[in-house]
Amino acid sequence: MRDVRLWIKKEGRAKYISHLDMNRCFTRAVRRAGINIWYTEGFNPHPYLNFLTPLSLGQESDGEPLDIRIMDDMQNDEITQRMNGVLPEGISVAVTSDCISKCADIAFARYTLVLDFEDEAKAQSFTNEARQAVNDGKLFAEKVGKKGRNKTVKQIDICAHIKEFDIKTDGETAVIDTVLSSGNDNLNPTLLVSALNGVIFKEELLHIRRKGFFKSDMTEWR
Amino acid sequence: MFDKITEKMLSAVQKPGRYTGGEQGAVVKDKSSVDIRYAFCFPDTYEIGMSHLGLKIIYGLVNDRDDAACERVFAPWIDMEEQLKKYDVPLFTLESMDPVRDFDMVGFTLQYEMSYTNMLNMLSLSKIPLRASERESLTPMIVAGGPCVCNSEPVADFVDLCMLGEGEEVTNDLIDLLKEHKKKGSAKAEFLREAAKIDGIYVPSLYDVEYNDDGTVKSITAKDGAPSVVKKRIVSDLDSAYFPASTIVPSIEVVHDRTTTEIFRGCIRGCRFCQAGFLYRPIRDKSPEVIDRQCRAISDSSGYDEISLCSLSASDYSRMRELIERLISWTDDEKINVALPSLRADNFPKELMEKLAGVRRSSLTFAPEAGTQRLRDAINKNVTEEEVLHTARQSFEGGWNAVKLYFMIGLPTETEEDVKGIAHLAQKVVDEFYKNPDKPKGKSVTVSVSTASFVPKPFTPFQWEPQNSKAMIEEKQELLRNEITTRKVSLSCHNSELSRLEAVFARGDRRLGKVLETAFKKGCRFDGWDDMFRYDLWQEAFDECSVSMDFYANRAREYDEVLPWDHIDYGVSKSFLIRESEKARNSEASPNCREKCMGCTADKLNGGVCDARCKTVD
Repeated sequence: MRDVRLWIKKEGRAKYISHLDMNRCFTRAVRRAGINIWYTEGFNPHPYLNFLTPLSLGQESDGEPLDIRIMDDMQNDEITQRMNGVLPEGISVAVTSDCISKCADIAFARYTLVLDFEDEAKAQSFTNEARQAVNDGKLFAEKVGKKGRNKTVKQIDICAHIKEFDIKTDGETAVIDTVLSSGNDNLNPTLLVSALNGVIFKEELLHIRRKGFFKSDMTEWR
Repeated sequence: MFDKITEKMLSAVQKPGRYTGGEQGAVVKDKSSVDIRYAFCFPDTYEIGMSHLGLKIIYGLVNDRDDAACERVFAPWIDMEEQLKKYDVPLFTLESMDPVRDFDMVGFTLQYEMSYTNMLNMLSLSKIPLRASERESLTPMIVAGGPCVCNSEPVADFVDLCMLGEGEEVTNDLIDLLKEHKKKGSAKAEFLREAAKIDGIYVPSLYDVEYNDDGTVKSITAKDGAPSVVKKRIVSDLDSAYFPASTIVPSIEVVHDRTTTEIFRGCIRGCRFCQAGFLYRPIRDKSPEVIDRQCRAISDSSGYDEISLCSLSASDYSRMRELIERLISWTDDEKINVALPSLRADNFPKELMEKLAGVRRSSLTFAPEAGTQRLRDAINKNVTEEEVLHTARQSFEGGWNAVKLYFMIGLPTETEEDVKGIAHLAQKVVDEFYKNPDKPKGKSVTVSVSTASFVPKPFTPFQWEPQNSKAMIEEKQELLRNEITTRKVSLSCHNSELSRLEAVFARGDRRLGKVLETAFKKGCRFDGWDDMFRYDLWQEAFDECSVSMDFYANRAREYDEVLPWDHIDYGVSKSFLIRESEKARNSEASPNCREKCMGCTADKLNGGVCDARCKTVD
């Protein structure tokens, strides 16, 4: 019995599969792949699967960590290979590794955001203003949460959650490369975009892709 | 992978996963490599359509052909409909995302009368002309199947042809014919005349309907060589009938999220209100070996951990013990649950139940359908009060404290006593709970009574009966509500307006086509969804078309009246239905098919073979 970490690539059609559905999807995929997975031992045993970092609906990722516990000594490469034969379009296992880093050590995540505009001029002016706004450090967004049954609205200081930020114009698009806080104090990149929209104007379409995770000292989280 | 507009639409809707396809098991073919592309349309949401076994069978069957491709389409929810209109994008399939109108054949499965407006909406969103007469080219050929086509007259204006009965063989026949005529460049009329010669194909435009002065049907006349009576198709041997070895595994949660295997077709019970019990005759069993093999294949390929054994009444399967023993020999090890829906607790051995250790029941559901033995006899629901109470007792002893009871209101021959009887039966179930010496301390019992309004349907012994008026139904609901004196019994009643429309369309004729179109244009769709149903718009539509709902819903028919579906043959003979109807009027029950054959004549569809006659019931 050992724990392994599957790095799940999610793109294209599959980005519209929600976090909860991803769990269901993998429960079945693991069975189809014939991987001997550990079942919880409660009243209602179910296969143990742990997506460490929920990804919002509509976002893509280069590698989402999924921890599972296997009951035999199947090699990592074989797990990758078997899983990739049985997954829906747009989902694949980039690599299977041992569980090196601890979940609690996730501090940051890198994202690429692509914003589509009507024309190049709009993309260019968005780029300039967004860069300025982040430099000025005055970006706020409202985060709607829940406390029990009540809805809460929290003011979020976006810049306090930005570790790195780079933006450039590429044709009719603005491309943002950014590192945001993740893990316990997670900032959803859509909040960054909505804060930018608040001061500037609305983009036409937004693509978000998570590129990887870091520890608090910016070393790679594996 | 999607173009920008598709991405914009998808990011604007609540459940984009309904429209993206790409699931494990979905089949995407190169369109240039096939002769016929078939868009299979389910006129309800993805979650409901993907729970439907028929879709999976037809999808697998067509895609197994090298010369054809089957792709799926579901009714887009309101938010997606808005997006399609906003960007002027025609409705597309899930596999290739190509417009539905580019397909050679577009098929709708009509499971429920209240999905008719969704069919019109899907045609309209596909930018396909609604009326068959407005479509001149051979393709797209608009076809329909499913139980509702046993009386397809209300949709006769819109569909080019209907496939009656079971689709496994006739779908292939139809694709073969369409392929041939597409190659030849035939005109649509020529193709339809040829299609009408295939057993089980009904082409409404080849039949002229005349009406009497009183509004009833005078005659239905076939023309251009079409058969005067169209018989439904069946597959004669379920063991060799097509069944998919693998299936699509939805990526988002659907209603029935499990594998399903059919165990037998037909029903031996003959409950007189139940259309399915007559439509799917004769009885044909699948053998335990085949069911077991199919379950195995489909579990392995899907990865599901639950198998549902599907039929109209699972406990009537003749070789259940053998089947369960085969299944549990491997399902236990693989942590797979075997579920048996539609179980009649009255004849299912308890120890067999216990073998299905994994079966989880949240509460016990029982459908006595009527409140008194007299009325249960009249509708031929052969369940006695003692059986209901016995099962309730068993489940209370097993630690349950919630029971659901399903009834119908407005059944033929129903009296006040019968309605009150519902409350009395519920009370007896409550009393059963308190008789149990080991009842859990401090716990109360909940008996949830749910009543539907009776809807008379074609091909049942009640096809001549009037439905109670809305006022009568509501009066009876009130009577029942007042008869319930304890808070341990909760009552919920189905919307009687919905049942009324169901009754109108179930036994409707072609004159309802314009009402349907009017209602659709007023915005009616997803009528089966409580929050979407607009009875006011429907009333307007009937008024504008000067069509009376009462005429269809509340009028008693004579046995000799020409019924709008008299040119359709589902195997059960009219004389049998009349015999059963007369027995109902005398509150007389019939034995089930296994006890005694009542001569419904459906066996003639299968060369005189009906598996209800096999006496070796285990």
